[in-house]
Amino acid sequence: MRTMDWLRDQNPTSRAQARAGQAYLNWLRLRRNPLAMAGLLITVILLLVALLAPWLAPHDPIAQDLSQRLLPPLSPGYPMGTDEFGRDILSRILFGSRITLYIVLLVVLTAPVAGLFIGTVAGYFGGWVDAVLMRITDIFLAFPKLILALALVAVLGPGMVNAVLAIALTSWPPYARVARAETLTVRNSDYIAAVKLQGAGGGRVIWGHIMPMCLPSVIIRVTLDMAGVILTAAGLGFLGLGVQPPLPEWGAMISSGRKYLFEQWWVATMPGLAIFIVSLGFNLLGDGLRDVLDPRSAGK
Amino acid sequence: MALIEIENLSVTYRSKGRSVTAVESVSLGVEARQSFGLVGESGSGKSTILRAICGLAPVTGGTIRIGGDLVPTPRGRAFSARVQMVFQDPYASLHPRHTLDRTLSEPLAIHGIGQTDARVMQALDDVGLPQSFRFRYPHQLSGGQRQRVAIARALMLRPEILLLDEPTSALDASVQAETLNLLNRLRTERGLTFLMVSHDLAVIDHMCDRILVMQNGRAVEELSRQDLASAKMKTDYARSLFSASADRMLEP
Repeated sequence: MRTMDWLRDQNPTSRAQARAGQAYLNWLRLRRNPLAMAGLLITVILLLVALLAPWLAPHDPIAQDLSQRLLPPLSPGYPMGTDEFGRDILSRILFGSRITLYIVLLVVLTAPVAGLFIGTVAGYFGGWVDAVLMRITDIFLAFPKLILALALVAVLGPGMVNAVLAIALTSWPPYARVARAETLTVRNSDYIAAVKLQGAGGGRVIWGHIMPMCLPSVIIRVTLDMAGVILTAAGLGFLGLGVQPPLPEWGAMISSGRKYLFEQWWVATMPGLAIFIVSLGFNLLGDGLRDVLDPRSAGK
Repeated sequence: MALIEIENLSVTYRSKGRSVTAVESVSLGVEARQSFGLVGESGSGKSTILRAICGLAPVTGGTIRIGGDLVPTPRGRAFSARVQMVFQDPYASLHPRHTLDRTLSEPLAIHGIGQTDARVMQALDDVGLPQSFRFRYPHQLSGGQRQRVAIARALMLRPEILLLDEPTSALDASVQAETLNLLNRLRTERGLTFLMVSHDLAVIDHMCDRILVMQNGRAVEELSRQDLASAKMKTDYARSLFSASADRMLEP
């Protein structure tokens, strides 16, 4: 119980204690939100599944057995049925979670960060910096996302890393726009003037003072886009430009299942359900996180 | 030689072919350890002078000297160590996502000054805030407490000059007096020079040794505290301004 008291101390004595206390408060606030907890649960399960896939999966996700092809769900030994090569769909979904997680994490770590950086720099400095960066953003925005991603993959060659790169390169412009709009609203505020007057340079102002103000709206967009990222990756996989067979990527699984959609619905539906649940989980968690990350909402 | 010398300062805002002259050839001098007040109605350009000194407004003519030297553009760290500003609205001048600790230690980090912990604690003490407030956020504080934080932040770098932009106009009457007394105490303790803007003559009367009355971006009349006390204004505008609020003046 002593740790609890230490965490709950109204008047922390050190920076570390204040930070730990704040983190604990955030956790309490997140815990009060049942939807966010559901999202967290889904995300944690996804992480565990990705981590433990080799032990959880009943079959080899790549091993083919043509005598067992297209078995319906709940067949003995194949709870989600098998696909057209007799591969166990459950095992493929479990192993596919690794690829999905990998793609989502890489995109989320690159595109919003790049967008945030470009948007805040453009908004803060204004003038020709703004003009140049925003016209580049416009050019990227003007292309349909999937077409641009296709073009990039076509140039770079198909594969998971290139697919991630293509998705990241096509999805940063909205973040840049959001970040720039936020920056414009705060750049003339007194607290920015105050820190400039203390002699802070552009980098410090942007990183320490403007970015924290842009973060909530960017996080909202990221969580809304998370499902889109999975779907774009699936789309690239669907077109045969993303993850290559026989690797079990969820989008590629849907794509191969579409031929059997009417007779053997489970081949495409099971990975579709997986994408749906994971997207939902990310959305719920992101929504909750945004509420928690805003200290002004602390009292509510 | 005055510590702050402003000669024929003009500030013109230009945007899309239109231009607005906020300040037109205003000159003033503030001696070291003096408290100088700028008075005038809204839009008379008094806050713009402060912002021009800080480099936050476009100077289109005239010179600003601090301690005999022209101020550099951009202002730079040496300038920020000498001149600091307290803004009008304490609800807008503190970063909403930074704890007081972060707000107060930021100037130290920028200038590479160590002993952060001790200095932050000392700063809270100096402005009469309990040290337990150190890790709170601005939204957990009242307006008066926030303005104390803003004052503490302005004093972190131990400047000689404090620019005060209507430091109490966003606060209610009882807190106003408290904040003004705090400023007066800090000025005596640290030998600060104040350049203060206000439209509230009671505040100016309580705080300032010399006063410049402004109207429509121009200086109308400069008065000493004695002139003010004995109502020796020379211009009609100054007289009308002062008679309008004479009944609210604090007794010296």
